[in-house]
Amino acid sequence: MGAAGRGSGERGAGRRWVLALPPVLVLGLVFLYPLALVVQQSVSPDGGGHSVAAYGQVFAESAFRGALRNTVLIAVGATVGALLLGFALALVVAFVPFPGGKALSRFIDVFLSFPSFLITLALLFVYGTAGMANGLWTGATGAAEGPFDFLHTPWGVLLAEVTYFTPFVMRPLLAAFSQVETAQLEAAASLGAKAPRIVRKVILPEALPALAAGGSLVLVMCLNEFGIVLFTGAKGVTTLPTLVYGKAILDGDYPGACVVAVVDIALSVALYGLYRVLSSRAAPAAPSSRPSRPSRSPRTDGVRRARA
Amino acid sequence: MLVHSRRARVCVWAAFLVVFLPVFALPFLVIVAASFATGWSGALPSGPTLGHYRDAVRGDALDALVTSLLTAAAASALALALGTWAALSAHALRGRARRAMDLLFMLPVAVPSVVVGLSLLVAFSRPPVLLNGTRAIVVLAHTVLVTAFAYRSVTAAVTRLDPAYEQAAASLGASPPYVLWRVRLPLLLPSLSAAAGLCFALSMGELSATMMLYPPDWLPLPVKVFAATDRGALFSGAALAVVLMVTTLLALSAVARIRTKATYR
Amino acid sequence: MRRAGGGARTGRRARAARDTAVTGTTDTGTATDSGPAAARAAEADAGPAAARTAEADTGTGAARTTDPPRTHRPATGIRLEGVTVAYGGNTVLDSLDLTVGPGEFMALLGPSGSGKTTALRAVAGFVRPASGRVFLGDRDVTDLPPHRRGVGMVVQQYALFPHMRVDANVAFGLRARRTPRAETAARVAEALETTGMAAYARRYPRELSGGQQQRVAIARALAVRPDVLLLDEPLSALDARLRSGMLAELARLHRELPGVSMLYVTHDQVEALTLADRVAVMDRARLQDCGTPHDLYRRPRTAFTASFVGDANLLPVTVAAGGGVEFAGTVLDVPVPASAAPGASATLCVRPHLVGLGDGPNVLRGTLAELRWRGATHRLYVEVGGHRVEADVRELRETPPPGTEVSLHFAARDAVLLPAGAGEDEGGAADGRRRAG
Repeated sequence: MGAAGRGSGERGAGRRWVLALPPVLVLGLVFLYPLALVVQQSVSPDGGGHSVAAYGQVFAESAFRGALRNTVLIAVGATVGALLLGFALALVVAFVPFPGGKALSRFIDVFLSFPSFLITLALLFVYGTAGMANGLWTGATGAAEGPFDFLHTPWGVLLAEVTYFTPFVMRPLLAAFSQVETAQLEAAASLGAKAPRIVRKVILPEALPALAAGGSLVLVMCLNEFGIVLFTGAKGVTTLPTLVYGKAILDGDYPGACVVAVVDIALSVALYGLYRVLSSRAAPAAPSSRPSRPSRSPRTDGVRRARA
Repeated sequence: MLVHSRRARVCVWAAFLVVFLPVFALPFLVIVAASFATGWSGALPSGPTLGHYRDAVRGDALDALVTSLLTAAAASALALALGTWAALSAHALRGRARRAMDLLFMLPVAVPSVVVGLSLLVAFSRPPVLLNGTRAIVVLAHTVLVTAFAYRSVTAAVTRLDPAYEQAAASLGASPPYVLWRVRLPLLLPSLSAAAGLCFALSMGELSATMMLYPPDWLPLPVKVFAATDRGALFSGAALAVVLMVTTLLALSAVARIRTKATYR
Repeated sequence: MRRAGGGARTGRRARAARDTAVTGTTDTGTATDSGPAAARAAEADAGPAAARTAEADTGTGAARTTDPPRTHRPATGIRLEGVTVAYGGNTVLDSLDLTVGPGEFMALLGPSGSGKTTALRAVAGFVRPASGRVFLGDRDVTDLPPHRRGVGMVVQQYALFPHMRVDANVAFGLRARRTPRAETAARVAEALETTGMAAYARRYPRELSGGQQQRVAIARALAVRPDVLLLDEPLSALDARLRSGMLAELARLHRELPGVSMLYVTHDQVEALTLADRVAVMDRARLQDCGTPHDLYRRPRTAFTASFVGDANLLPVTVAAGGGVEFAGTVLDVPVPASAAPGASATLCVRPHLVGLGDGPNVLRGTLAELRWRGATHRLYVEVGGHRVEADVRELRETPPPGTEVSLHFAARDAVLLPAGAGEDEGGAADGRRRAG
């Protein structure tokens, strides 16, 4: 359709790309150019010239391999957790409506706008060595120390990430559930289907695209998560982002940091590509490129839905 | 309605609250409670005090708040301008060019923020542009990180905008810039303000790239919160976090008010 | 496109000079026209258009502040020459030739997907033809963007700017042209007065009913005093009662604005027949027929027109050797054009209400298959030689039972002979060949 403007049809796309140039140039300068320099630096050792020696060196470090493993495991775990929890909670909000459900969706929106490290901070008060849970335990049993001491382990990071990212799964799910028609559920129920069966046969298929899209977004965000890991303050839990930070700021090892950064970019961008593919499938079919009378389509869509 | 018997419904709700409240509502309550306390070794915090807030609204902490507000305002204004321009010009494109624009402007979401920080550090620590150690580099990083969100919101809104309006305006003799200024932007105002609010909130809470870049004289609030908790001052950190949350909420609700006004005008 | 200051003044002088100069010159665009618009067309055309093009090339200002009073302003027609529009490989408008005379009300009538809206959008400038030219007056506007064409447009969904009050909506076009404030106010008041919306000037569009919104949309288009007004199904979003009111309104507007050419897209034949000076019938991306409503109804050129504009019996006939045509073994005495060779097949069109019951000229004998009461009339469905012929007769006192042998007749002058398969491939160049009136 690129040539549509030239031949016929809707009035031309002739020189419209000129208008798109300034923002592209700006973003290129402040985003793409720096990224390119990172890649360049990762193959330019301090001594000059070009070599991939830094890669070999970094890959050989056990700290790097540990960070890579941690990053992937925590991200996958947190994504699975957030998906399960988000699905269950969204199910209740959407299909077992209760008073205050609207306020709850607003709360979720607010939740999304807060920085992630607040969760770790809160968990420190709940499960920290001198926190609420341990305080309750010692108060009840008289023991000197509470049993909860996982905050500085990968489990603490996992808990924080599941908590923080669950709403990111719930939002697209709630949107998808609003498309499921009550009539459909009532029909299924009138045919004698029990709730679990309805969830499996009717709701889940409807929610799958949103689950896939939300899940891959959360996976990318978990891979990139920095604040939660940093606030945990555990030496034992290093992920790729904190490794980049440590190498660059604490050690001053820029080539090493750039190598890790390149690996991190590759991982995240690959996953993000997956997310884009999944979410474009989840979204309703894009409006056709023939823009004859767009104002009419919502109406016909409505009719189609009503008839369906 | 999925669950019909009243009893079953109550059970589901109870289960929901048991999961939801501790996991999602509790963190914020805990932070608020802790910000008024000096110790927490039992079920409830102890040693009520307003001291943390007195500290939080003067000296370094106040500077950090102002720093965050200024950074967020500058970054969201820049990101909104850049994202809106990009979204509007991408909307005029077709096919491959448009998909390329989409990809480019959504890419900052995929790249880890820490890496964005590192890349700016690498790129602007050398000639021709030396920004390392300046306030501008923090604003720049925040702008790069939130532009994608501005772009996405505005793109969604532009797609929903009925072309009949701009066509009616054009048939009345209005040139494209005039149509943009008098018709399209006013109609997009609700979405633009929502995008601005989102960008502002994200920038207020940005930590990862900031940690890589902040100069000593430009220390945003999240960094201050981290510094406090890192040296063990959890309770004053909580007070700072509350200040951060409240400021963010105030900004969001101000934006929501603009939005309502623009919608119902 | 309107220029202010010196440009406008010289433009006006030039226009005045040409107005006298061009009187009586023949314009190719309107030569094919006749009927009510023709006289106006002959008065002037080339002059103002040329002057305006010159204006458009000169200055930077905007307002046509020194317009002569409307009654003296010469009008501009619309001319499409071989306009073809295609999306991808899909031709939605196929080589359309159409001329709307200055001050003429032309309806584009056709089913959905017939290309009528595309034709209107090509005139407005929202669709770029793959080939062909679009003229407003003598000005070739094919490559001009919409905002430089100076046409008014009213669309089905109103498209009033929701963030502006009614008066700001109506003033929009004037402000975009930087018309002086005082004149803007006067023209807004005038446009609102014309459409009967003066009392609602300070309302927002969402506070108005559908009919009121449509009036505001018309006022908004009229405020810039366009020479050409495009209306795209303006009544189809209104309910039946409002629609008939607006129909009368539009007819009044057309009377009161004799200088404004109107192109009116509709799928409703009642709207087209009541409002238009001429009707262009479109089907499958092509112009099928064009003429005055009366002419289209009485003398359709194609089977499509005959069946789309009113009801029609379309009977397959053969041209008889001795004049007339043969249908189901009967020779009927109807006018046969000289071009029709004996033995050629053709289609005979007779309107049901012009078919009478009983004997007379051109008798068709058959079996009554069905009879429906329609209040003032009865409709008879009669099987004649394997074809069903419909007749609308005044309400019968005694109704014959189905199965009765009956005779139908019609007058020779009420029948129209159409080429066989008419409407399939014909009519692309119908405009111009057909004489209105």
